[in-house]
Amino acid sequence: MYELARKAFPFVVIVCGLAALAWAVSFGTLPPADFSFANGDEVRTLDPAKASGQPEHRVLNALFEGLLRQLPVDAPPDQNGNVPLEAVPGMAETMEISPDGKTYTFKIRSSAVWSNGDPVTAYDFAFSWHRTLHPETASEYAYQLFYLVNGEKYNSGKLDEGDRIEIELRDRRDERQAFPRGTILRGILASIVQPPKPTVDPQASKEDKARAESDWKRSWAYVVDVKPTVNSQVAWDAPGELRAFAVESKTKTAKYEFNQSTREIPIESCLWLLLDFDSQVGVKAVDDRTLVATLKNSTPFFNELAAYYTLFPVHRATVEKFGAPNWTKAENIVTNGPFRLKFRRFRDRIRLEKNPSYWDASNIHLNVVDVMAVKFETTQLNMFMTGQIDWATTMPRSVIPELQKLAEYHAAPQLSTYFYRLNVARPPLNDVRIRRALNMAIDKQQLCEHVMRAGEVPARSLVPPGLKGYQSAQGDPYDPEEARRLLADAGFPNGRGLPRLEILYNTMDAHRTIAEVVQQNWKTNLGVNVELRNLEWGVYLDSQNKKDYQICRAGWIGDYPDPNTFLDMWVTDGGQNNTNWSNPTYDKLIADAAAELNPEKRMNIFHQAEALLMSEVPIIPFYFYVHPNLVNQRVEGFTTNIQDVHQLHVLRLRPDVKAQSNR
Amino acid sequence: MATFLLRRLLWMIGTIWVVFTITFFLMRSVPGGPFDREKKIPDQIKRNIEAYYKLDRPLSEQYFYALRRLLFGDPSSRSQGARYWPDFGPSYRIEDFSVNEILAQGFPVSASLGIFALVFALALGTTAGVVSAIRRYSAEDVVLRFMATAGIAVPNFVLASLAILTFVFTIPLFPAAGWGTLKQILLPAVCLSLPFAGYISRLTRTGMMEVLSLDYIRTAHAKGLPERRVVLRHALRGALLPVVSFLGPAAVGVLTGSLVLEKIFNLPGMGSHFVEAATQRDYPLAMGAVLVYTFLLFVMNTLVDASYGLIDPRVKMSQQ
Repeated sequence: MYELARKAFPFVVIVCGLAALAWAVSFGTLPPADFSFANGDEVRTLDPAKASGQPEHRVLNALFEGLLRQLPVDAPPDQNGNVPLEAVPGMAETMEISPDGKTYTFKIRSSAVWSNGDPVTAYDFAFSWHRTLHPETASEYAYQLFYLVNGEKYNSGKLDEGDRIEIELRDRRDERQAFPRGTILRGILASIVQPPKPTVDPQASKEDKARAESDWKRSWAYVVDVKPTVNSQVAWDAPGELRAFAVESKTKTAKYEFNQSTREIPIESCLWLLLDFDSQVGVKAVDDRTLVATLKNSTPFFNELAAYYTLFPVHRATVEKFGAPNWTKAENIVTNGPFRLKFRRFRDRIRLEKNPSYWDASNIHLNVVDVMAVKFETTQLNMFMTGQIDWATTMPRSVIPELQKLAEYHAAPQLSTYFYRLNVARPPLNDVRIRRALNMAIDKQQLCEHVMRAGEVPARSLVPPGLKGYQSAQGDPYDPEEARRLLADAGFPNGRGLPRLEILYNTMDAHRTIAEVVQQNWKTNLGVNVELRNLEWGVYLDSQNKKDYQICRAGWIGDYPDPNTFLDMWVTDGGQNNTNWSNPTYDKLIADAAAELNPEKRMNIFHQAEALLMSEVPIIPFYFYVHPNLVNQRVEGFTTNIQDVHQLHVLRLRPDVKAQSNR
Repeated sequence: MATFLLRRLLWMIGTIWVVFTITFFLMRSVPGGPFDREKKIPDQIKRNIEAYYKLDRPLSEQYFYALRRLLFGDPSSRSQGARYWPDFGPSYRIEDFSVNEILAQGFPVSASLGIFALVFALALGTTAGVVSAIRRYSAEDVVLRFMATAGIAVPNFVLASLAILTFVFTIPLFPAAGWGTLKQILLPAVCLSLPFAGYISRLTRTGMMEVLSLDYIRTAHAKGLPERRVVLRHALRGALLPVVSFLGPAAVGVLTGSLVLEKIFNLPGMGSHFVEAATQRDYPLAMGAVLVYTFLLFVMNTLVDASYGLIDPRVKMSQQ
């Protein structure tokens, strides 16, 4: 036997080798695509309700379409090279806004169909927005829908006595899937019966305390006046039946006091108790083709939000049949956009095919598009230079000055700002003079020209230029003299006696270089010493959230072209504030802007708010990002814009230039 | 042989369990979680997400749930991957796929790349080693030995950069990146294989030189057999023993060495999933990758040990 084994050994090795070869090649030679581009990281999900991120944005814009779509305006580029974007009709043919700006009426076009032939209806949108707001979907961008009346309340699950609520019973077809839902009862909340709050050990961690609070809330009993359904409509005014529900109750009955008598109502178990979506939340499908959205306040950028992927529709029957996440698989997914999903190879490519039933299919010039998941900048550059991809979305920073000379290079300032956060609760940063001095001692022009070198624009305001109708409020300029004077005024002439400051940044070469330059500037101009500390991304975010820093690096990309996206986060205790800065005047200005109808006045209020922000300096803006793209010369229709939105279906290929064979 | 395999199986189960436990707690001891973003998620939404993934349960409860799911599967799990055993659960960061699906797509890529690299390393290394041994101390020997050392010393990503510069840009022979055609495998496989080819050539050379000085080879020469017959039929098998024992660590090296290459050449293999899972705190995917690697390495080493008994009659399995 051993003899046999020894003789066979080299053959086994050879056979293994050939098998590996065959296996490797069996991935098959794909027919080449018309157009390929590198999309950065692999897309996390194709579900519009759950997606977040630029790579997802590009693919979802190709696969789906919302009520509106963001397209570049047919106008020449501005002095920065940007073409303005506007939200034009997509699935919705027309959009009407009421005079008070709070009601939007969309009419869905009759030629809008899903990829399986079903027509796209207003009910699809109502269902999709409901799903996005439902807490069980756990959508990260659900806050885009908080502009709807009761959108935030629905998502938070908070209930008040007297509310009209919906109750989902524990009889779902599949308990792990939020849709299709179990039996829904509707009624008016009569009372919330809270069992005594458990005592929490004050030494317990924040997470334990939060969990204990969460568990306690799940044990609350809700006494509901459940209303009957007549002709498939809820009769809210008819007499109802008093029942009690709880998600996870510890007792069997709830005590309810009513008309001087006390009743013990048996508690029924349920899955969810939420505000009644159909009657309370500001979106309603009036009929197949009419969708009405009711907003809390007039929101001028709502049409841009309607073009954003969080508000895209999903096909209800598909989602309910396969559940999440299986409905997004290539063999199941049903889409309504200019492209269909052919297949998806994880971390390799997503292949898209032109959708012949798209309402504007005659204007799509690409048949097959490959979305390559390439993260590494150098590899993207290599693939672009050898013609494997037609559009590279990132490139090694060090080579950018060389690449800028090429005709294929397209870049323009973006709606994003690089800035430092100052923790104003930690001395000496609690003194506004010191903060102003620190800001004025940094030469941002030099930073952009010699360190960044990709055409970044030095920033004296938080909000980038390029927003229609808005003038950013400028903060202090580069003035080392004045900075020194302020520092001396604050009691630290020439930086003497100033406690050591620390700049925190996430580990990346670019951030380190900038921090070193800032360190230099402050030492030379102010005599102030700073230390640098870097943390890995996850750890760094953690520190920032816990406000465990003095000065930290940050960046912000605007979600929509309106100053609100940059300014509303700095309100007192804002979730993204993280600087401990609080100013009631600022809070009031932001609230006023949200309620202001006149667009000019509104922009003025924002200008005042930004001026206040710049004068108090809880943040130091550095520069406005430039997003570089490399686009092969055979591609036409590629324009730069401040949000770096590039719709695939407007691209065309020059017929005279052939694709390279090396793909 | 049977007792040997049985004992190894028990050791493997124990090793995997220990690796699972250590990895589980080590991963979660690092600050930062899978759902941290620069744009902070509102508290309520974050709590919804954590409830969905059971991240809000106490750590010990999560541990036993993960262990139970690994051993018995989770029939109520949402994704299709749950049909297969073992069930590593859903990926926290790639929402559309379960860890099983991700690894199932990535494993063939890494495996075929690895096998290709090993086969190439064996072929190149043994040839170089044999030539070196026969023509010992000649010019060819020196050159081959120098190249072997260079192959071992130079990191494979440096080799990759040089290879890309030469064979993709200067002489456009190969595509720059990607996976699917034969051309796209060659460059990464060769870069991956060169250090191991270096080791194998040195091992073969030493083994060969040892064997060639033995009595039975002198007998073969005395019988008048041609050089080629002596080397290939008689000497080679004995000389390859150290190479076989090296295959275990070589498999290790090939699997781990491919991480950087997968990034440079954009290969959708397990290495890239592993690295991304670690940086993105995707606990189930990282755990799945770690366990698959552990299993593979254990199996490779066991195969190598078992093969001794088959190849070398001087080794008795009962002694192991």
